[in-house]
Amino acid sequence: MRFLGVAGLLGFGALLELAPRVGLVPERYAPPISRIAVALAEQAQQQRFWLALSDTLRTWIIGLGIAVAAGVVLGVVIGATPLLRAATASTIEFLRPIPSVALIPLAVLLYGASRSGTLVLVVYASFWQVLVQVLHGVADVDPVARETAHAYRLGRWARVRYLVWPTALPYAVTGVRLAASVALILAITGELVIGSPGLGREIAIAQSSGAVPVMYALVLVTGLVGVAANVVTRAAERRVLAWHPSVRGEVPV
Amino acid sequence: MRRQLAALLSGTALLVAAAAGCSDGGGTGGGDSQPGQPDQVTVGVIPILDVAPIYLGKQQGFFSDRNIELTLTPAQGGAAIVPAVVSGQYQFGFSNVISLLLAQSQGLPLKVVSNGNNSTGVDGEDFAALMVKADSPIQSPKDLVGKTVAANTLKNIVETSVRASVRKDGGDPAAVKFTELPFPEQPAALEAGRVDAVFVVEPFQQAVLAQGGRKIASSYVDTAPNLAVALYFTSQQQIDRNPDLVRRFTEAMQESLAYADAHPDEARAIIATYTQIAPEVIAKLTLPKWPADVNRESVQTLADLATEDGLLTKPADVAALLP
Repeated sequence: MRFLGVAGLLGFGALLELAPRVGLVPERYAPPISRIAVALAEQAQQQRFWLALSDTLRTWIIGLGIAVAAGVVLGVVIGATPLLRAATASTIEFLRPIPSVALIPLAVLLYGASRSGTLVLVVYASFWQVLVQVLHGVADVDPVARETAHAYRLGRWARVRYLVWPTALPYAVTGVRLAASVALILAITGELVIGSPGLGREIAIAQSSGAVPVMYALVLVTGLVGVAANVVTRAAERRVLAWHPSVRGEVPV
Repeated sequence: MRRQLAALLSGTALLVAAAAGCSDGGGTGGGDSQPGQPDQVTVGVIPILDVAPIYLGKQQGFFSDRNIELTLTPAQGGAAIVPAVVSGQYQFGFSNVISLLLAQSQGLPLKVVSNGNNSTGVDGEDFAALMVKADSPIQSPKDLVGKTVAANTLKNIVETSVRASVRKDGGDPAAVKFTELPFPEQPAALEAGRVDAVFVVEPFQQAVLAQGGRKIASSYVDTAPNLAVALYFTSQQQIDRNPDLVRRFTEAMQESLAYADAHPDEARAIIATYTQIAPEVIAKLTLPKWPADVNRESVQTLADLATEDGLLTKPADVAALLP
């Protein structure tokens, strides 16, 4: 299976190399992958490339961190309080579908072309992913377990710690994984549109410089960052949920 | 897509920024002097060759000599810079003359503090050109009547200049059609025949030349002698708050412009640091001229043309905009 995956990737690479070479797409605007690789190697020798990469990663991690922290805390608080949950449900359903990019004018107005402007987009988009998952998770607490906790007179904190949290954690982790990829997309979008520092802005600069291979090389890097982000979050998921049946791979008792 | 988004965004931002600017007279950004500390100044620029002098001036220390610590922020276009300057996020900005005239006629409190860049004034050897395909039947600007020309932004300096070329050549300037297309997409659109002509600036002039395109006019040259294309500006609030800083910025800019104009090789070298233009293209670029002073007559000419072409609905007050 692994061999097939590698073969597929190589085949795709060969297609990207051949299509411009045989004139299927104009070479000037869609250079073959080998030229993109050369441009990437040149970029890798420049300090500004690494600065841009670290800027993007920093925006991503800060934004994701804020979104996860806020999403988990608010999710548990709202989810555990039926009154609060009922009061906020319609508001959440109204705010959640607003595309984060629609907030770009607001972000620009508040923060200009700075990292904070992009962070607004990143946090807004990824926050809902976490919040909604945590809300579902908290709602999924087994009624019998809840009654039992009640019968044993577990305090509020103990209930959160031993009952709500273990139930909600798999949901939260899924939310974090979804949020991680959404956060990366919005980080690049913000950099590209708002012009805050990072890979997205470098892509825009390469485009306005007519440096087509460099532009594709940077796009390729954003793809690689996405893959890396996914690998990291999946590894973290396995570690955090090592005890959970879905990860243990055993038949649940 | 991005440009439309940016235009939409800047339109909205402009309105709100104007409102905010009127009410509280300035934002949270730098520009305030602490005793003994240099002024923190952020300038919104566009990452194109036009702004080479300010990068060069920063490198040469013309700003730090005047106690200004300069941060240059590349933005996506002049339309995004104006609201940021009005709201005080940037202390200064770089924008083309028509955008400034439009903003000023809408009542935004803008004031030019320095020249930006000018056309070379040499017909056929400018940093921007009206170009057609090698085998196009169009031979001179008057043949563009009824044809479609790509402009990076509609209702802006490209339209004014191209119409000036057509007018000068004896054609009907109102009969030229424009379609909005970002500069990077214009060479491909011209080659594919989606537009009849393009108006491109460097480095895309080199791109069109490389695919065999032909220059039919230097529209900036046709518009006015030594046309001022873009300027550096600030907000009235900034001037009221720290006139001394504005004066020092203007001095540093004048020194930077003169230096860049006198040292084109250093200007080319600095362009490589803030753009991604390939080295072999940088060597071939036609650089703009960077006079230290604003060509006031050319700004007035642009204002008159923009009014004539209907871009400006209210006449702009050129004297109030210029220093």
